[in-house]
Amino acid sequence: MSKDLVGINELKRRDFLKHGLIFGTGASALAAGYAAVPDAFARAVYAAKAEGVKNDNVLVMIQLAGGNDHLRTVIPLQDPKLHDLRPQLAAATAPMALPLNASFGLNQNMPGIKALWDQGKVAIVEGVGYPNPSFSHFESIRVWETGDPTRRQVEGWLGKTITKNYDSMGHPLTGCACGTTNVPGALRDLHATVSVIDNYRSFGFQGGSKVENAAAAVWKGTPGIYGALFDTAISTAQATIASVKTAASRQTNAKYNDNVKLVYPSKTELGAALQLAAALITGGSGVKLLHVTLGGFDTHQTELNRHNDLMGYLDQSVAAFYQDLNEHGMADKVLIATWSEFSRRPQENASGGTDHGAASAVLLMGNPVQGGFYGQAPSLANLDNTGNLRYNVDFRSIYQEVLNTHLGADAKEILGQAFDRVPFLKAAATAVAGKA
Amino acid sequence: MCFNTGDPMGVVGFPFNRWHMDMGRLERFLPRKVTRRHVIGGALAAGAGITALRLAGVHGSAPAARKVAAAPKAAAAAATSSWASPLEKETARVTHLLRRTGFGATPDELDAAFKLGYGKVVDKLIETPPAEPPPVPGMMGNGVDVQKLQQWWLDHMLATPTPFAERMTLFWHGHFTSDYRKVGTDQPYIYWQNLTWRRMALTDLGSMLMKVTTDPAMMRYLDLATSTGKSPNENYSRELLELFTMGAGNFQEGDVRAAARGLAGWRLPTAADKSQTGVFDKRRAFTGGPLTFLGQTGPLDTNGVINGILASPATAPYLVAKIVHHFVSPAPEARYVQRLSDEFRASKYDVKTLMRSVFLSPEFINTDSYRSLIKSPTEYMVSVLKALKAPQLSKLILDADETMGQMLFDPPDVGGWPNNDSWISSNTVIARVNFVNAVLGRLRSLPPAKDVHQLQLDGVLSPATEKLLGQANDDRTRWLVALMAPEFNLK
Repeated sequence: MSKDLVGINELKRRDFLKHGLIFGTGASALAAGYAAVPDAFARAVYAAKAEGVKNDNVLVMIQLAGGNDHLRTVIPLQDPKLHDLRPQLAAATAPMALPLNASFGLNQNMPGIKALWDQGKVAIVEGVGYPNPSFSHFESIRVWETGDPTRRQVEGWLGKTITKNYDSMGHPLTGCACGTTNVPGALRDLHATVSVIDNYRSFGFQGGSKVENAAAAVWKGTPGIYGALFDTAISTAQATIASVKTAASRQTNAKYNDNVKLVYPSKTELGAALQLAAALITGGSGVKLLHVTLGGFDTHQTELNRHNDLMGYLDQSVAAFYQDLNEHGMADKVLIATWSEFSRRPQENASGGTDHGAASAVLLMGNPVQGGFYGQAPSLANLDNTGNLRYNVDFRSIYQEVLNTHLGADAKEILGQAFDRVPFLKAAATAVAGKA
Repeated sequence: MCFNTGDPMGVVGFPFNRWHMDMGRLERFLPRKVTRRHVIGGALAAGAGITALRLAGVHGSAPAARKVAAAPKAAAAAATSSWASPLEKETARVTHLLRRTGFGATPDELDAAFKLGYGKVVDKLIETPPAEPPPVPGMMGNGVDVQKLQQWWLDHMLATPTPFAERMTLFWHGHFTSDYRKVGTDQPYIYWQNLTWRRMALTDLGSMLMKVTTDPAMMRYLDLATSTGKSPNENYSRELLELFTMGAGNFQEGDVRAAARGLAGWRLPTAADKSQTGVFDKRRAFTGGPLTFLGQTGPLDTNGVINGILASPATAPYLVAKIVHHFVSPAPEARYVQRLSDEFRASKYDVKTLMRSVFLSPEFINTDSYRSLIKSPTEYMVSVLKALKAPQLSKLILDADETMGQMLFDPPDVGGWPNNDSWISSNTVIARVNFVNAVLGRLRSLPPAKDVHQLQLDGVLSPATEKLLGQANDDRTRWLVALMAPEFNLK
């Protein structure tokens, strides 16, 4: 960071620790539903608390927003029930699938992820959900973001992970949302500083340092209820610009050759977002937790082609991303995981689509993964009283494995309780400097 | 709680030559630390109303030379804790009202409004029928060019004599929302929807619910057009209850399913129908006997669904809270929302009555309300162009809207746009500053900036803004500082 970057970074930590109680006031105001701003004061408190980075592993969460139909992602090949429930959708889907074993196949548009599966680099967790599922997008997104099916928590599970394990003060690239304009719920935490980069090319102040310095001066001095928010936004912007610049200067070209065809898809913003993520990771920016989103999964109507397209976007983006990491020698460090607020109802509707469902399948991809199936695919013959699938793996089991094994964090501290283990990762993270 | 933070303040005021040439020197006088005052301000400002710096007077002919050092030290020390509300003054209240109901006002508009007085300005806002926008330039046949449509709306926001109608249309566009991607551009449906919300913006909720249910864009966006009684599509039914009227937790899953059946039967109009609303086709409707919806069992059709919603005690508070978050406060008191809700319901959900009550409520003009909202990207950018008298640059908005987080006719999801604090991130602060810079870069001449702190910022400035404006010695710099400052981003 440049020396000109002032503001929060010059704070004296002991002053904050002395007055640590104060930030309880801020927290209760937030709990009451007040503007959820990352809080400059609290950032400083936590900077003093947690300095240690556990290991240099990286997590990339891909949100499939709108409710991904996992029955068209990981497709049952043999189940006659599927054809009874979905005469149109199943007939056009199952025969085209890319078989993974005798029972399941990937969507026809997923050859890239299929190739990773063949190398043992894809874990599929079936039957993932939570008790008393909500069929509201917004409620269920919040459940997954906060890791709290009772819907009381407001902080995101990744935000909490940052707060409890990393010093994000002055290092806002610890957590980064790519390809969006605001902080996604999973990364939100009162005490975490998080970067948001919509588009790398426009992420910088036009008009030179004169404009940047003037903007910094006025935004850092904002009175009123949004003071911390405005300060954090400008401080984070400046720190991120500096980090990205440094990372870019450090980045070495990967050893591409004629056998490597590295093409991020142009039809989807997910491709650009993952390309940016790859640049941040391979450039040594220190980024740990990344979040990207592919939208459009709320397929109530004419699902067939739309969903196939989305699967193709996901596949091409992930395949290029993995290859990019691999060429830079970073693939061992990076775990890629999908999440979606819910799956679709097994029974199709009159519009050639599906309504909101419950239990879903989660894909985990990358070199850290122990490939294969985990959990159990819920029976299509034993639906619940809403006509939906019954879950058998709590989604927080997946978070737990990611936190404990991949990130070397204390999952119980973040999730509040322990869950059954789902061992989809190869080995515990090495060189864990975890908490005693 | 009181903390002495020892920031250098009240030390400004001597003129620099060409400040932008000497930023390093200037910066020594800027508040360099972000301190816990922000947090305290954030947590307590709603209740405390701490004094802060206000530049009430117009600063003569040489603003660069004005001195604030004479300001009482106590006031200066608390300066960044909260904004000093000027709203005890009638003119400040009128300015506040026009800022929240439009896109900023010109000096002439302000003068006219000051002469009318607050109450009559409210009457005028509420009672003036919305000015209809001109036809969309270049729109031929049924197809819609979204970029042209976006610019058409922005141009109307900039030109209209009734900006409040556009603010309400924008509110309803984010509430009863639809996006052009799902709706499609083969028919003018998304354009029709815009005209509809402008015309209906201040009507009653019952009529609006009937209209939104049969609005062709909405019928496509949330799939009512393809839902049938035999095989209902729940998309519209769920969002009608959860997002448009009652809010999550105030209905059961069974209500979603019952309403989906009760609402089924509408199809899109064909050319032969010569209609801009959906057409009911009995053969597509539900025929399977009584349904239980919100506790009532019996035959259920679209009217029944809407009446059930209007009978629910959850509906008025849900909508009123959203209106209040957009127009009054991000954290209103429950009893305020309840009071407005009771009136709203008693008025048979008359939106005009509601908005009048909102603007005439003490909460709208109290100290806590001042600068408690954040301008949406659209409001912000239109306000910038209006302040600079540069409506011809509306196309620049289309270059910046995506990375600032708000593209018209393209909300992120069926929840519309989140507001206030959600607008601000590391990404969007850059986008907002860059927009002002881009606009200024395109203008050869600028309106006089001498009184920009008064005309655009109420004369209520943070020490940092005050200092930078004080050092600026050309109009371009003064406009840059004023328009990118937090003061102008807030409302």
